[in-house]
Amino acid sequence: MSAEPGPPLPQPITSVKSPFRMDYTYVAGAGRSVFLRGLAERKLLARRCPGCSQVYLPPPEFCSRCLTELEAPFELDGRGTIATFCVVSFPFPGQTIEAPYVVAHIHHHGADTRLMHLIGDVAPDEVRIGMEVEPVWVGEDQLTTSMTSIRHYRPTGVAIGSESTRA
Amino acid sequence: MRDIAVVSFAQSPCVAANRRDDMAGFLLPVIRDAVQQAGIDRDQIDFFASGSHDFFEGRTFAYIESLDAVGAWPPISESHVEMDAAWAFHEAWAWLQLGQGDIALVYGIGRGSLPRDLDQVLPAQLDPYYLAPLRPHRHALAGLQARALLDAGRTSEQQLAEVVSRSLAAAVANPAAQKSGAFSVAELMAAPYVASPLREHDVAPCGDAAAVVVLAAGDTARRLADRPAWVRAIDHRMDTHYPGSRDLTRAESARIAGARAAELAGFAGYDVDVAELHVQYSHQEMILADALGLTGALINLSGGPLAGNPMTATGLIRIGEAAAQILDGRAGRTLAHATNGPALQQNLVCLMSTDPA
Repeated sequence: MSAEPGPPLPQPITSVKSPFRMDYTYVAGAGRSVFLRGLAERKLLARRCPGCSQVYLPPPEFCSRCLTELEAPFELDGRGTIATFCVVSFPFPGQTIEAPYVVAHIHHHGADTRLMHLIGDVAPDEVRIGMEVEPVWVGEDQLTTSMTSIRHYRPTGVAIGSESTRA
Repeated sequence: MRDIAVVSFAQSPCVAANRRDDMAGFLLPVIRDAVQQAGIDRDQIDFFASGSHDFFEGRTFAYIESLDAVGAWPPISESHVEMDAAWAFHEAWAWLQLGQGDIALVYGIGRGSLPRDLDQVLPAQLDPYYLAPLRPHRHALAGLQARALLDAGRTSEQQLAEVVSRSLAAAVANPAAQKSGAFSVAELMAAPYVASPLREHDVAPCGDAAAVVVLAAGDTARRLADRPAWVRAIDHRMDTHYPGSRDLTRAESARIAGARAAELAGFAGYDVDVAELHVQYSHQEMILADALGLTGALINLSGGPLAGNPMTATGLIRIGEAAAQILDGRAGRTLAHATNGPALQQNLVCLMSTDPA
């Protein structure tokens, strides 16, 4: 016995348009503001914890291990070694750089934390852990309170060798 | 059941906008205060639970930044709720009930000042098919609720003004209050409407603050506080998401939470000396007082949320204030209420006492 075909199903509604837009005020905080203002002046400002001596770059307002206010900011010369890196080879929505490109954790000389940024002026397959790099700052008219004040880091040509990771 | 008590409470002053501090900078002094009051070192804290909401920060996993104020190295045991921190308090209480530790710290962060326009943000909490596309004004649903309450003859605009007048006068003694002062009922009733029948002062003023509550179990609680505020019961319930299918003049989920808490505690709303109610609007005090049977309690001696409303910390502050009444020896039994969602959709009730059982 075959089932009688019923009335056709109604066409389902598959989407409802309800676009949200939300605007926010960003509060960088006292500590982060010091670092961001430094970037607008081509300065990498670090701060040391008086309790455990850890040097933060970028520095917050206080040590996240000791909860102690960090000491006064001081400038690093910007050079550091590549602690680890990856090569981004695929495109994704919102990407502003053409793949392939290199993203690295940079261990600045004199700092105990690592800063993430791009590596440029070198072929991705030549990048190595331990390679010494330095910042390439944007032009005077593009300097601002943002990480974008550094276009990327580039090799200094000095081979440091494999970096020992901190315990 | 283990005996668990609040042993300390601290909060930062409610301000319209804090533009100096990031989340960690904002929270650290409050944690220090609460931990110092309890006389403990942070190494002794077994569990951390917090509440805040990314929609107030405009970033995903925004609360992670606050962990820098907790001291998350070496790694700690912690959890977060994406809602009012009163629910983080509930989680911490349950965690202590499981017997895995003796001390828990709960914090709430309210940063209502960061959205440039709450009308852009608050519709996101509504039903996405029928309500959110309409983008109701931030006070529209509360206006409907207040109007229904007036129409049912359960309150009057004069009574709303009386609630506000009493709350803001009480807030004069609260150093954390954002709004306070002596305002006559006549003066308040002369103000213009923002969502008739509600006026600006009927609305809890959204702003920034952080709050911290320390909980401890059994003999640890007795050691850390002279008069621990024993949590005799805590329960929470939620109503349907669509306000149109509720009787907005009643808070059925608050009533059930209150009744269940009373069963567990052995005393009810009509037995408490003091109640701290999470009223987002003045008219909600009548709805909650009815639902919780608060016939004899003094309500919102701190001024309540009408004096300061750091959203997602406001509910935890109610628990802290109700506990402080016991910690300071001013009350024997207190009730704290917290809410989440539009027009009292979700409700939590906590009953506390000077006696552990």
